[in-house]
Amino acid sequence: MPSPRLVVESWDPSYGAPLAPDEALAPSEGQVDCDAEPGPWEPRPGEDDGVAQVCFVDGVRRIDARLAIPRADGMPIPGIAGSHAVGAVVWDRLGRRSEVDHIRTRRLAVFSSGAEAEVPGEPPVSFDVESEPSDDPDRLVARFHGSMRRAEAELIAELADHGTFVIGDGPVNDTRRREVVGYVKTHRVAYLPPERAGIVGQLAPGLRTPLFVLGAGGTFARWSWYQRLPLPEVRHAWSGVVRCEAPGSLPLVDAARLADRTAALLPLVAAPVHTDPRAPQNLVPIGALERRLRHALGDQRLVYRALLHAVEGAA
Amino acid sequence: MTDERVGRVLGTRDATTRAFRVLVDDDRYLQLDDLVELRTDVPEAGEVATYGIVTEVSATYEGATYDTDTRRIAEEGTLPAETVRTAEVAITRVDPEVWVSPHPGERVRRAVDAERDKALYVDEMRRPLPIGIGRDERPVFLDLDFFDGVKGGHMSISGISGVATKTSFALFFLRMLTGSPAVVGEGATNLRVLVFNVKGEDLLWLDRPNAHFDAAAREGWDRLGVTPEPFPSVSFWAPARARAGGVVVPDASGRLEGVEAFRWTPREFIDEGLLRFLFTDAGDQRNQLSFVEERVRSQLKRWAADLVGEPGAVVLRQPGPGGHTTPVADVDDGDLVVREFSDLVTALESLLDPTDGTDPDPAWTGRVQGGTIAAFVRRLYAAQHRLGHLIGAGESRRIDRHKSQVSVVAIQNLHDLAQRFVVGALLQEVFTEKEQTGQRLPLSVIVLDELNKYAPRDGASPLKEMLVDIAQRGRSLGVLLVGAQQTASRVAQEVMENAAIRVAGRLDAAEAERPEYGWMLPSTRARARLLKPGTMVVSQPSIPVPIVASFPFPPWATRAEEVDHSDDPDPFDAP
Repeated sequence: MPSPRLVVESWDPSYGAPLAPDEALAPSEGQVDCDAEPGPWEPRPGEDDGVAQVCFVDGVRRIDARLAIPRADGMPIPGIAGSHAVGAVVWDRLGRRSEVDHIRTRRLAVFSSGAEAEVPGEPPVSFDVESEPSDDPDRLVARFHGSMRRAEAELIAELADHGTFVIGDGPVNDTRRREVVGYVKTHRVAYLPPERAGIVGQLAPGLRTPLFVLGAGGTFARWSWYQRLPLPEVRHAWSGVVRCEAPGSLPLVDAARLADRTAALLPLVAAPVHTDPRAPQNLVPIGALERRLRHALGDQRLVYRALLHAVEGAA
Repeated sequence: MTDERVGRVLGTRDATTRAFRVLVDDDRYLQLDDLVELRTDVPEAGEVATYGIVTEVSATYEGATYDTDTRRIAEEGTLPAETVRTAEVAITRVDPEVWVSPHPGERVRRAVDAERDKALYVDEMRRPLPIGIGRDERPVFLDLDFFDGVKGGHMSISGISGVATKTSFALFFLRMLTGSPAVVGEGATNLRVLVFNVKGEDLLWLDRPNAHFDAAAREGWDRLGVTPEPFPSVSFWAPARARAGGVVVPDASGRLEGVEAFRWTPREFIDEGLLRFLFTDAGDQRNQLSFVEERVRSQLKRWAADLVGEPGAVVLRQPGPGGHTTPVADVDDGDLVVREFSDLVTALESLLDPTDGTDPDPAWTGRVQGGTIAAFVRRLYAAQHRLGHLIGAGESRRIDRHKSQVSVVAIQNLHDLAQRFVVGALLQEVFTEKEQTGQRLPLSVIVLDELNKYAPRDGASPLKEMLVDIAQRGRSLGVLLVGAQQTASRVAQEVMENAAIRVAGRLDAAEAERPEYGWMLPSTRARARLLKPGTMVVSQPSIPVPIVASFPFPPWATRAEEVDHSDDPDPFDAP
């Protein structure tokens, strides 16, 4: 038996793979409606409708310190202190310039088991406090992550309310009728049934699949499509493929317009392979935004030291 | 008062006591040579003012990591980035003298008015003399104490030839010096300047207005506070022409009227020991020539007797124990009468190398080898050919340096040997005169181009000795050398080291890297090869960094074609 062909993924290995192996394309849950957009099931070209302004929204987070509330009668209660920042790159397509804007940072401490303790400190290193009912330590990070996702969603909503076209990192989690596209870099779930999935291999950069609906019939229905970003070489069927989402409340014609636009625009901002460990999926504006946001979090050692001093000073 | 803030001290790179960087405000700019000022609140010491000068400016995209990001930022606009403009500042002064670095984030202001003067130490100069215009269109000053011998002396000017900056700057400086008696003070009285015109004829028109002098140039002079006029008091001297048929006429091809001829009589030649300046080849010191020369020089002084009725001429006779006391009235055919240089050569040959085969008097030769005598005589013959016409009996025709403030000596037509002879003779005259008085005042300034020819780095010669002596002792005697050279690395180190004021125009790229230009900042050196004519880098002991200044177009002519004849009297007008 001949050895199967081998390919090397373009992402830096420390970021995982665009195709998560452990849950590789497991069948999706919920209903997927592949016949939502009329026409043959084949790749279709995107179309740049000349939208003047595009906003890319993303967030970064970092755990700054592990905390503990000592208890006389047993194990200390764990907690974490972390910082997250969200912001937007405003791409002025007419002026041909991009600008980072709307940076918001939050420092948050989360304690488990419903415990609460005041975390001393003064700006710019002062922490909000939340508590997580569960005593599962993994939930602390999830709770902290959720806070960042909420901040992202708020910023997306704000920008979209002003009529700006927004591309957010990750799935859409607000199905209100607005010009918002969610951008998903990794594929953990196979949404298309096997007989339809072959279309992904036929995608060229600038093309998209027809729209399909996720969570069809449910309250959280989203439009979705696959498209491919430019790569020096297509190594396997899913190389450089990303999935996008749009709110399910949009009428088909609007969703199709957004999908066409996105299919045409994303190749323009795809990261060249050598410039980003997650190229091409980590878009150029998003990569720059993440660098700026990480910078906005401040130096971790300084935050840690400030926290340490504040806690020791209060003791 | 306008807000002079231009930015803040950059915090991503170390600010030190020597230099710091400024993050320039979006609506401001800083350019090379701009002067800035800032205040730092130093614990214990209180407020400390720091002054500096911009030595480099740079701009970059903050946020760009790859070269191609530039395209994404500037062309496609898909990558957000910020244009960052910074300026490197070399610190010139801290006040009070607490040597701490400025703090990052401090507001940086352009130094204007009094602050500008402090940045350039003008407030500490006792006698600030304008020596150029800074990039901010305001005068740049020289602390005269460091030129005229009070605290330091001499000026050295370097630069490639062809752009005419060295002489032009020297002349400009002289004009400022002679035109600012109020600044120069007591030294201005009877100030005398001796200028050698060693090539071209640029210096022969200093007293004539320049036809190309325009309003822009006038404005420059107005800024400096000196009336733009040709030099008011100049005399021009040219060597007597060879083969002029017994008449003493000046040998200056470009200009004849107003130029006086000079030469020395045999009497002056012998009395002043000018013979030594015939042996100025660096190689002459290595053999015994200088030994013979010394002997002959002192013998001549003993033997020379004046002739009745023939001023300047001498007759060489063995003196009695008291020497010659009265002029000789009767000479016969056997006497060694010296009226011309050739007579001297013939006389010396007969004394050093008698044709009758007898041994020469060791008082003249000092028992050196016959070959050395022959070589000595050969040199005399060579000199006769090159400069014999500079010696002749008759009324004294030496240069009268006291006739006018500036004396220009035109030696450009002379052979190298003769040029060195004239320079040596005149420098010795000036120096001896000052040595005898022992006073610094009145000041005597000497301007000499191609210094490397007269005081070369390697070898020894009486002329080089003379110049080194002037460089080392001239400061206290008020003999100030303004030397110019194309390459400082070829000039005697003692001469270069003693110049308190150093000036450079455009330099050859390789030359600028030599240690002789260590006084320049690296950024200034890099620029030295790009300097335009009329722009100089000036270093002086009172300011720790070199300052770039330009000097205005001269109101005097530097070529015959430039002479403005509009004020000349009409030759057809009836008197």
